[in-house]
Amino acid sequence: MPQQIKRLVTAFAVFILMFLVLQQVLKPNSFGKLGHYRAMAIQENEARELHYAGSARCTKCHDEMHTDKAAGFHAQLQCEVCHGPGLKHVLYADKFKDGKLPDSLKLHKPDTRKECAICHQLNAARIKIVFDTVNNSMIKQVNALKHNLVDKHTKEELKCIECHNPHQP
Amino acid sequence: MEQKKSKLSRRGFFKAGSIIVGGIAVAAAFTPFDGILFATEPPKGKGKWYGIGIDINKCIGCGKCANACKLENNVPKEPFYFRSWVEQYTIKNDGSILVESPNGGIDGFKQTVPDQDIFKSFFVPKMCNHCAKSPCVQVCPVGATFETPEGIVLVDENYCIGCRYCVQACPYGCRFINPEKGTAEKCTLCIHRLEKGLQPACFEVCPTEARIFGDLNDPGSKINYFLKNHTCMVIKPNLNTGAKLYYNALSSEVR
Repeated sequence: MPQQIKRLVTAFAVFILMFLVLQQVLKPNSFGKLGHYRAMAIQENEARELHYAGSARCTKCHDEMHTDKAAGFHAQLQCEVCHGPGLKHVLYADKFKDGKLPDSLKLHKPDTRKECAICHQLNAARIKIVFDTVNNSMIKQVNALKHNLVDKHTKEELKCIECHNPHQP
Repeated sequence: MEQKKSKLSRRGFFKAGSIIVGGIAVAAAFTPFDGILFATEPPKGKGKWYGIGIDINKCIGCGKCANACKLENNVPKEPFYFRSWVEQYTIKNDGSILVESPNGGIDGFKQTVPDQDIFKSFFVPKMCNHCAKSPCVQVCPVGATFETPEGIVLVDENYCIGCRYCVQACPYGCRFINPEKGTAEKCTLCIHRLEKGLQPACFEVCPTEARIFGDLNDPGSKINYFLKNHTCMVIKPNLNTGAKLYYNALSSEVR
């Protein structure tokens, strides 16, 4: 074998060896276990904090609300649609059984016109929507900017929930 | 005619051949190639393979999904980055198309076009399609984004260098750079909830059950029932991304 080839081969061998050593040192442990990524990243993503509890856990304590709701049009609505994420409430509310719940654990009670209008404001894209689950009924549409804005007698501003029970609209 | 004689003797040929073959065999044994090839068939019948269905006919555009996603995943409220959002498409009588998404739909929609000008109008909730042949995964130079064996496209926050290639590559616009962390961020299909047996947050709060989610490998799952019973389509099928977000009643105007 010619001298220059021998040198070249040794140079290549040294480089490849260096590459393999560096790769062993720098490559994260779980890299390549499942593919071209760190397999540990799946566990890291799974470890994140939850905020929504799921309504199965709400009905464990508030079953009367659930039966109340089951008779009306809002039967298929999950609790947290309107009341917001409730896992903190579920986890820590038990410690305050005398009813003095701190504000941070209280769930939101939507009572403004705006919050009802999010689903029920008249909109051309909503008109044709029909649900097969609730006896082929359409979603109730109303122009929240005009519909009974003030009380006819007292002339005070009216909220939606003063006439409509949100659990049984 | 004189036959041309090869310079290589029989002995030399076998020697060289065995060195090459043996070398390849040794190299292969040293680092076995275990990477999952892209553009392969999705795993059929083994493990879970998640898919998503959205029924445009049922979406009322309340934006609860977009809001829930932000709250569940601590997505920055402002500037307006979304992992999941809702668009209102309005096709006017003159044929022009108007697409609106004020604050991703979180604050609700206001009809901006008068009734008499509208040919049709509908809401399209959008989120990561969790493609089986994701363009965003293919362009990542460091292997920080990947498809899990269950078919969820994830980002490895600790490995991402924030080069923005994937943001550009996603044909659905489902990625952004988190302004605080400087890394790419996207829908994780709430993998932290799936693992605890819960539904992803946007599916949890959908008031009309317009969103369906389940295991495509399970013949009895909700998503397979949905796919069987509706005429479903993915967005931009021509791009061959292997999208697993199926829309019922998807209009061709949706991009």
